[in-house]
Amino acid sequence: MSDQTDVLQGTLDLLILRTIALEPMHGWAIAQRIQQISDEQLRVAQGSLYPALHRLEHQGWITADWGTSENNRRARFYSLTKAGRKQLEAEVAKWERLSAGVNLVLQRT
Amino acid sequence: MRLFHILQSRLRSILFRDRRESDLDEELQLHLDREIERLEATGLSHEQARLQALRAFGGVEQIKEAARDARGTGAWDALVRDTRQGLRRLVRDWRFTTAAVLILGLAIGANTAIFSVVNAVLFRKQAFADPDRLVNIYQNDRTGRPLVVTSYAAYKEIAEYPDVFASTMAGSIPNPGRYLHEGAVRDGVVEFATATYLDVLGLRPSLGRWFDQSEERPGAPLVAVVGYQAWTRLFRADPSLVGRVIKIEGRPVTIIGIGPANHRGTLDVGLGTDFWLPITAVPSIFPGFAPRDVPTIFVPLFVKARLRDGVTVSQAKAAMDVLGRRLAAENPEAFRIEGEFSLGPGMTVVPSTDVRIHPQADKPLMAIASLVLVVVGLVLAIACSNLATLLLVRGATRAKEVSVRLAMGATRRQLVRHLLSESVLLSLAGGIAGCIVASWGMRALQQIDLPFRLDFTVDYRVLAFAIAVSLVTGVVFGLAPALKATRVDLVQTLRDEGLQPIDHRRLTLKNALIVFQVAISVLLLGGTSIFLQMTAAARALRIGYAVDGVAMLETDLRFASYSDADARRVYDDLLRRIQAVPGVQSAALLRGLPMGPNSVQIVVDGASDQKGVEAVVFAAGPGFFDTLRIPLLYGRVFDARDRADTPHVAVITDRMARLYFGSVDAVGRRFRIQNNPNSWTEVIGVVRDTGTGDFEDDVLDPIGPPFYNSYTQTGAQPTTVMARTSGDAASLVAAMQRELRAVDVTLPVVTAQTMAQKLENAQAAPKGIATLFGALGGLGLVLASIGLYAVVAFAVARRSREIGIRMALGARSQQVVWSIAQGVAGLIGVGTGIGLVLLVLLILVMRAGSGSADIGIGNLTVYRPSIDPLALLTIAAVTALVGVAAAFVPGRRAALMDPLVALRHD
Repeated sequence: MSDQTDVLQGTLDLLILRTIALEPMHGWAIAQRIQQISDEQLRVAQGSLYPALHRLEHQGWITADWGTSENNRRARFYSLTKAGRKQLEAEVAKWERLSAGVNLVLQRT
Repeated sequence: MRLFHILQSRLRSILFRDRRESDLDEELQLHLDREIERLEATGLSHEQARLQALRAFGGVEQIKEAARDARGTGAWDALVRDTRQGLRRLVRDWRFTTAAVLILGLAIGANTAIFSVVNAVLFRKQAFADPDRLVNIYQNDRTGRPLVVTSYAAYKEIAEYPDVFASTMAGSIPNPGRYLHEGAVRDGVVEFATATYLDVLGLRPSLGRWFDQSEERPGAPLVAVVGYQAWTRLFRADPSLVGRVIKIEGRPVTIIGIGPANHRGTLDVGLGTDFWLPITAVPSIFPGFAPRDVPTIFVPLFVKARLRDGVTVSQAKAAMDVLGRRLAAENPEAFRIEGEFSLGPGMTVVPSTDVRIHPQADKPLMAIASLVLVVVGLVLAIACSNLATLLLVRGATRAKEVSVRLAMGATRRQLVRHLLSESVLLSLAGGIAGCIVASWGMRALQQIDLPFRLDFTVDYRVLAFAIAVSLVTGVVFGLAPALKATRVDLVQTLRDEGLQPIDHRRLTLKNALIVFQVAISVLLLGGTSIFLQMTAAARALRIGYAVDGVAMLETDLRFASYSDADARRVYDDLLRRIQAVPGVQSAALLRGLPMGPNSVQIVVDGASDQKGVEAVVFAAGPGFFDTLRIPLLYGRVFDARDRADTPHVAVITDRMARLYFGSVDAVGRRFRIQNNPNSWTEVIGVVRDTGTGDFEDDVLDPIGPPFYNSYTQTGAQPTTVMARTSGDAASLVAAMQRELRAVDVTLPVVTAQTMAQKLENAQAAPKGIATLFGALGGLGLVLASIGLYAVVAFAVARRSREIGIRMALGARSQQVVWSIAQGVAGLIGVGTGIGLVLLVLLILVMRAGSGSADIGIGNLTVYRPSIDPLALLTIAAVTALVGVAAAFVPGRRAALMDPLVALRHD
């Protein structure tokens, strides 16, 4: 647990968009999926997850619909909009540029 | 698409705020539950899992807040929250809120009403096309100043300058005229104009057409254009009015069009013109306007012309001066205007945009209007300063609350926003109250019974003005106390070392304001008493006759087309029938309303001075003096002996007998009308002078002494029947109307009322003014007492700790009240004193004025009030009482304070 890192500010949006690109998910599942896929390396704080979801929805990149969760409860499922898909591509490209740059700096100094 | 989503989500979050909240709750709850399930699956007990999940989750409220902010509705929520809190607080402090809304409402209302009137008279721009090319043309008097009006003959000459003016027009001043509508005779405003009238102004009739040149020829069938306002109000905008025939002053007139919606008449000063007729219709509508046998029409005209392209105002002026000199040389008498105006050779040409009413009248009117606006603005300023004081008092008592909030982490911005929202709410409520007060005020103004119908409406600019005033007021007086309240020294206030030095300068200013307000209230109440004095004076003057049990009925035979001989028979028939009504003791016919005077110059037989003296003649018939119970002192009154073929006789008043005949018993003496050498009239009786009952004639501007002649001898038609009953005058009015219908159902009732009502109506204007002053005085008093209250409350709040110490040390409550009362009594005393001195000065100035003041367009008659010590005493006592009462409330609170509470007081 103590090895987990809080998701970097700014990358949370990217991770959320990427996660729900596959299928619509509700908030808890998104957090779990990010944790699982990152081999428990990344932890999503609830305190930033929901504001981020609402912000993304507000910006029109994701939409929310009520659906039934895996344990048969009403849950808000978030899915990508068309604009969200474009945004995801842009964010991915931006992240790749950034991480490549950071890596270069780390390797060459 | 994205924009749509954003809009949708924002709208949804604002509109479905509650659902959004419950959605958020449900979403977070699900998260928590799933987390607990997950932890349970790792082997923890339910309780352990729940605790751990909650711990990891963090503050639910913070997350919610952050989620709300992310949606961009945070500002909205804050606004809603501030508004709610503000409302709640205002409801809790309902006493303060009522006072504040009352102050603002009254001040804004008074402002809006008076601004509307001033706006209607002076600032409403007329909607003329290309107004820069329009000029007004006036004939000058001998001193070279433009006269009020221009004669028709002069207008015709002015119209003969096509190289200077592209077109010229003339419109008469508005005249009161009667017309028949739905079986009733109504008072309207009639204006005469040339066929070119609308074209020169660049306006179009909104329906039908304007009269043309052929209809302007003398003898053409009578046509009229109805004013747009009259059309919409009286005729419910019925388009079929065009083509109908309406009787105006008894003459059938065909309606050919409806005037432009944006034009109310030549003199747009609150009166809208109801009918426009061709200028040549003057002799047939108002035969009395052309008493002399002259070819021109003597109706005062306003002349406007459109300059030909390339012609300047000064060129037009030069051309008109040449014309003026020529007219003066050729035939000065023909270009004289009926009345007392002396014509000079010059002419005045001014751009129409520079003139509101008349070049000579605009300046004094503007001065009066600015004065009124300044006074009303002062009332608003006082109201605002009072409110600021009130808010300061609240701020002082809330200093602790503010510091607690600051200590708890509220930002200054939040606090200011919160306090500001309160005052904006207050001023909005005040603005609404002001609109209500204003519309009441306007309605009250329009209720005043006048021959003209004044047309004041609260227009949108005035409304905007009121709202702007209320908002600016709110922000200004809200921000100052709010900023002051937040600049509290935290440690100091929390430690409650409440004895901060009092800001003496601020208090002095406040005291000065209170003194000023008390003085102004005294002055306004003094104005009320002066007008009440005037009404009482008028009432005292008509003690001469008894109005109880007297009823009158006026009809107008011109609206029923009778010949003169038939008309006399109709009246005699009506008189016989009314005399036969049970209970009627006496009845009489007369011409004009009872007490409707007519000023004449008379020459007394044998008098050395043949120049003529002024007297006032009333046309009365047999039975007149009995009906009004006017005591006969000498000789006899009119009876059947006085016929058209017998020598003319008159009944004079004792005032006239004393003034012009040297003794009260003037029976047998003779006099004549000055400009008619064959009008020798013998005095057959002397009655007591009763005044006319008309306020202006009797009190403001006393005219010559009255005498009576008989309509049976002068050949004039009676118009009115008057009767005295032993029973109820009101039921006699109904009986008289029944008899009129029995004589001829088509005869219109012009007025039917009891004599008491008639006299009451004649007093409406001064009474209205007295009421207005009374209301303003009351308003001033209310404002001043709120100011007093606020100042005392402020002082008490500041001194509560000191009061507590004094009481703890054994001071009695009376002593505490006394120490507070001293300061207040001083303020009230000084204010009342200044007000009384100002009031006496005002009365002295009014008395010094020789009964009239020249305001440039004629004389403004001024009543000469007397100094009434009882009234002054009453005013001073009322002011002092109200002031003391206002100060008593917070003073008593201080005196009743528990010393322990007072010591702990923040």
